[in-house]
Amino acid sequence: MLIGSRAVQVGFLVGAVALWHLATARWAVSPLLLPRPAAVLRELIDVLATGEFLGDLGVTLGELAAAFALSSTTGLAAGYLVSRSRYWIEVFEPLLAGAYSIPIILFLPLYVLFFGLGPASKIALGATIGFFPIAMNTIAGFGSVEKIHIVAARSMGCSQYQLFRRVLVPAALPVIVTGLRMGFTIALLSILGSETISSLSGLGHRIVHLAENMHMARMFAYIAFAVAIAVVLNLVATLLEERGKRS
Amino acid sequence: MRKAHSPRSPALARLGAVLALLCVWEVAARGFVDKMFLSPPSRVFSSLDVVLRTPGVPEALGITLWELGAAFALSLALGLAIGLAVGLHRFSRRSFLPVVLLLYGMPQITILPLFILYFGIGPASKIAFGVSHGVFPVIVTVAAGVQNVKPILLLAARSMGASRAQIFRRVIFPHMIPSFFAGMRLAMSATLLGVLLAELYVSSAGIGHFTTLFTQNFDPTKLLGLVALLAAMAIVLNEIVRRVEVKAGRFRSA
Amino acid sequence: MKALAAAIRIRNVSHHFGEEGDPRRVIALRDATLDVARGELMCLIGPSGCGKSTLLSIAGGLVAPSAGTVEIGETRVRGPLPREVAYVFQENALFPWNTVAENVKLGMLFQGVPEAEREARAESALEAVGLAEFAQHFPDQLSGGMRQRAALARALSLQTGILLMDEPFGALDEQTRMILGEDLSVLLAEHRKSIIFVTHSLGEAVFLADRVAVFSARPGTIKKIIEVDEPHPRRPAFVTSAKFHALRDELYSLLHDEIRKTVSESALDRAGRAGGAAGAGG
Repeated sequence: MLIGSRAVQVGFLVGAVALWHLATARWAVSPLLLPRPAAVLRELIDVLATGEFLGDLGVTLGELAAAFALSSTTGLAAGYLVSRSRYWIEVFEPLLAGAYSIPIILFLPLYVLFFGLGPASKIALGATIGFFPIAMNTIAGFGSVEKIHIVAARSMGCSQYQLFRRVLVPAALPVIVTGLRMGFTIALLSILGSETISSLSGLGHRIVHLAENMHMARMFAYIAFAVAIAVVLNLVATLLEERGKRS
Repeated sequence: MRKAHSPRSPALARLGAVLALLCVWEVAARGFVDKMFLSPPSRVFSSLDVVLRTPGVPEALGITLWELGAAFALSLALGLAIGLAVGLHRFSRRSFLPVVLLLYGMPQITILPLFILYFGIGPASKIAFGVSHGVFPVIVTVAAGVQNVKPILLLAARSMGASRAQIFRRVIFPHMIPSFFAGMRLAMSATLLGVLLAELYVSSAGIGHFTTLFTQNFDPTKLLGLVALLAAMAIVLNEIVRRVEVKAGRFRSA
Repeated sequence: MKALAAAIRIRNVSHHFGEEGDPRRVIALRDATLDVARGELMCLIGPSGCGKSTLLSIAGGLVAPSAGTVEIGETRVRGPLPREVAYVFQENALFPWNTVAENVKLGMLFQGVPEAEREARAESALEAVGLAEFAQHFPDQLSGGMRQRAALARALSLQTGILLMDEPFGALDEQTRMILGEDLSVLLAEHRKSIIFVTHSLGEAVFLADRVAVFSARPGTIKKIIEVDEPHPRRPAFVTSAKFHALRDELYSLLHDEIRKTVSESALDRAGRAGGAAGAGG
C-alpha cells in the first residue's frame, strides 16, 4: 500500500509540473501571470551561476543570526530567572503566552518607524518574536525538573553551581532545545515577512522588487530559492534539536 | 515543603508587571527618545479618538474585520471538506496528508507578491492569503480527528448493525468535533496572520494603508494607537474562539 | 540506651505545615523523642500521614523542625550533613541522564572526592549490591528493583555513618521486596551503619529492624518502641518462626486502630449507622 501512496505523491508532483507547462505553453496563460517552467529554470541557473543571490542571502542570514543571538540570550536568561520561583512562573507565564498570541508582525511599522528600513528593524522584530517560544520553553524546562532530583542532589552536598550544571540543565535540556528550534524557525519567517513588507535588501525584498518590475520568471526562481533555503535551515535546526534531546 | 498559599495574588502581580512596563515606556518616551520615533502611552491612549476620527480609519478597520471573517469562514468550510476527504480513507491519508503537511510547512510569505498580482490590491487578495494560511490547521486536525477513532467504538457500532453512513454520522463525525474546534482556534491565529501580512504589504483602503501613512508622516502617536486597536481586536477574536472551543469541549466524551 | 552510644538523638521534635489560623494547617508530628544507637537499624512504621517521612527528613537536616532538636554525634543538626548522612529515597531519585556508574559517583563528585578514589568506591559499591555488570546502563533500562539497588550503591559509596531510607522498596512488588530485604540484611551485617528505615510493611519492619518505633495517627507521635532481638544477618527462616509471628501480631494490634483513625469513615461505621436509622424509623 505504501508504494501506491508514494505513487500518488510522485504523480501529484509530476501532474502539477505538467499542468504548469501546459498552462503556459498550450493554454495561453499570459507569461506576465505565470512564467514558463523552462524560463524559471533558466533564470534560477543564472541566479546561482552569477552569484547574484549572495548579496540578498547574506543580508537575510545576517539578520537571522543577529535576531537569533539576541532572542536566545535574552530568552534563556529570562526563562531561567523566572523559573527559580513557582510564584514568578505563575505570574509571567500567562503574560508571555498572551503576548505571543497576538500576531507580533503588527508591530513591524513601529519598528520601521524607530529603526528605519534597514536590517535593524528586521533584527529587532525577529528577536522580539523569537524571544517568546525560547523564554516559555526555558521556563517549562527548568520548572518541571523533578523535585526529588533536587532533594537527592542537595542531600549529597552539591553546591548551587553543581546543582545547575548536573541536575537542572540536563533535566531541562530537551524542552529548552525545542524552544530554541521554534524560536529560530519563527525568527526566519518573521524576517522574510518584514523584508517583504518594508525593506531595501534581503531575499524577501528581492522577490518584491522583481514582482514590481514584472520579472516573473526570475521572481519565481527566487521564490524557489528562498523556499529551499528555508527548508534547509529548518532541517538543520531540527537535526540539532534531535541531537540536543538525545544528550 | 510547600507553603499553604502565597500571600500575594499572581493576578495582581501580573497587573503590576504590565503597569511597570507602561511606566518605563512613559518615562522613556518623554525623556529619552525623540518625539518622532516614540510616543508615551498617556498620549497614545488620549489620542485614540483622534485616530478613530481620521477619515477612512473606521472604514479600514471594518474592511479588515470583514476580510478576517470571510477568510476564517472559508478556511473552516474548505478545511473541513478537505480534511474529511483526506482523513476518511487510509489510502487518501497516506497519499495526500504528506503533501498537505509539506505545503503547511512552506514559508508562504514568499508568495505574497503573487497573491497580490493575481487577486489585486483589494480585499480579495487579503482574504485569499488568509484562507491560504488558515485552511491548513483545519485540514490537519480534522484528518487527525477522523483517523484516531478507537477501533472498539467502530466495532461496537458495526455489531449493532450500523450502516456506513450511520457510522460516519454517529461515531466518526462526533468524534472529530473536538479536534475541529482545536483546529478552529489555530485557524483564527493563522488567518489573522495571513490577512494582516497582506494588509501590511499593500493596501488601498485597509488598515495597511494607514500604517504606511502614519509611518511615512512620522506620527508615532497615531501609529501606536492604530496598532494598539488592532492588537486589541486580535486578542478579542482569539479569546472568542478560545471560549467557543472550551464550551464545545464540555460535550466531549472521554 | 545510654546517650553517649546514640548516633542520632531526636528530642521533642514537633512539626507543622501552614501557619496559625490557616484552615489547611496540618500538625504532622507531635513531640517525637527517639534515640538511634550506633550500628542499629531503627524502623519507623505507622499509618499514612503520621509524619514518619517528615521525621526522617528532619533527622537528616533536609527540613528544619518547628520545635525540638536533633543531634548527630556532637553536632546539632541545622542543615544537610552529606558527610555523615546518606539517603535512599522511594523512587526516581537516580538521574535519568546519567549512567548507573555516573549516578553512583555523583555524590562523591559533589563532595570533592578525587577521581581515582571515586572510581574505586563506585566499583566496590556496585559489586556489593550486585550491579557491577550494569554500570554503563541508564536507569530507564533497569527494573525497579535494580534501580533501588543502584540508589543504595550511591548511598553506600558516600561511606557515611548514617543511612536514612524512606520506603526504599515501596514502589516494588512483594517478591522483589522480599529478595531485596534479605540482601539488605546481609549487606548491612558487613557495613555496620546506623539506619533509620521508614516502611509501611509490618513484615519488612520485623525482618530488618533491631527496634521498631510505632507511630500514632496524625498528629504523629511515637506510641511504642518494640525490640526485635535476633542476630544479623537475618535468615529467610526467621520469617516463618514463632518469634516473627508474635512480633508481627504485636505490631498489627498496635497499628490497627491508628490506621482506622486515619481513614475518616469505614464501611462498618456506615453500615452501623444505616442499621441504627432503620431500627429507629421502624
